[in-house]
Amino acid sequence: MHFSEDDLREALKRKDPGEGFTQRVMARVEQAKSEGTKQAATKKPNGKFLAWWTVRPAWTVAVVAVLLLAFGIGGYQYSEYRHAEEMRIARARQQQLQQEAERARDQAILALEIARAKLNHVLQHAQLQAEPNDKIRRERL
Amino acid sequence: MNLATRKLIQILIAAVLCFSALRGYGQDAKLQLGNLDKLTDKAARVTDVTLDGSLLQFAVNLIEKVDADDKDVAQLQSIIKNLKGIYIKSFEFDEASQYSKGDVDAIRSQLTSPRWSKIVQSMEKRRNEYDEIYVLKNGDKVGGVVILVAEARELTVVNLVGEVPMDKVASLERHLAPGEKHSDKQKQQKKESGHDQE
Repeated sequence: MHFSEDDLREALKRKDPGEGFTQRVMARVEQAKSEGTKQAATKKPNGKFLAWWTVRPAWTVAVVAVLLLAFGIGGYQYSEYRHAEEMRIARARQQQLQQEAERARDQAILALEIARAKLNHVLQHAQLQAEPNDKIRRERL
Repeated sequence: MNLATRKLIQILIAAVLCFSALRGYGQDAKLQLGNLDKLTDKAARVTDVTLDGSLLQFAVNLIEKVDADDKDVAQLQSIIKNLKGIYIKSFEFDEASQYSKGDVDAIRSQLTSPRWSKIVQSMEKRRNEYDEIYVLKNGDKVGGVVILVAEARELTVVNLVGEVPMDKVASLERHLAPGEKHSDKQKQQKKESGHDQE
């Protein structure tokens, strides 16, 4: 295919862009800019979350409040459980000590009862042995 | 060896001797009754009481707390509060001659120290009965008591360590024995039930 000089002239001559050319160009520029920032925002990690955070502050506060409440209740229940457990151990220990003390008391009473019985037994025997000797001594006198 | 080292060794030896003498002074009221453990298998009835240190303190505290108003318990308290240890081994046999003379002599040999005095002795050779009471003197006070009852079918050693009010022990009420001893609450309940029956 061959182009003549006239064809080239016709093709390269100035053309009128029409009305609103500047506006159209500026609109395309703005569009390109906003598309560029959107693309950059989607590339950031947690971008959506951050966006949600800023977009829905009331919800964010509510979620934080619920979480705090849950942690608070959990912590309180755990501390209550720990306290109850400590109390249970202390009560068991006290009960054990009480039992040991009662056993010791019973042993002490038993021991003193035996001591009393044996002491009186020995004294009685000694007295019975001494009595005939006294009689003999008195008779001699 | 220089003079300073020799002095130091002398001081150390003296300290060790003093310490062991003091330790012995404090403990000699307690007898070693372990040699009687072998009689446990032969005996028909065995009573073994070992109360000292914290256990005895437990007993004293409990007696003070529970029955503070009881007259008998007050007497018991007055006896027990100055005691440092109560050790009893009592064996009752179905047949005679179940223990040897050596068993008894092992106890007596611990009572040969001049600080021990035999205050009562009752002997009846025909019935093979030897009853003795020994007292350990700590100055003017009694530091320990041993009651030895060696009879044909019975061997009992009672060893009380500490200040022992002998008169109070002898006059203790019989009903203090455990099992018969009740707390105030139980006594009250008993009284109430007695009234109900009437």
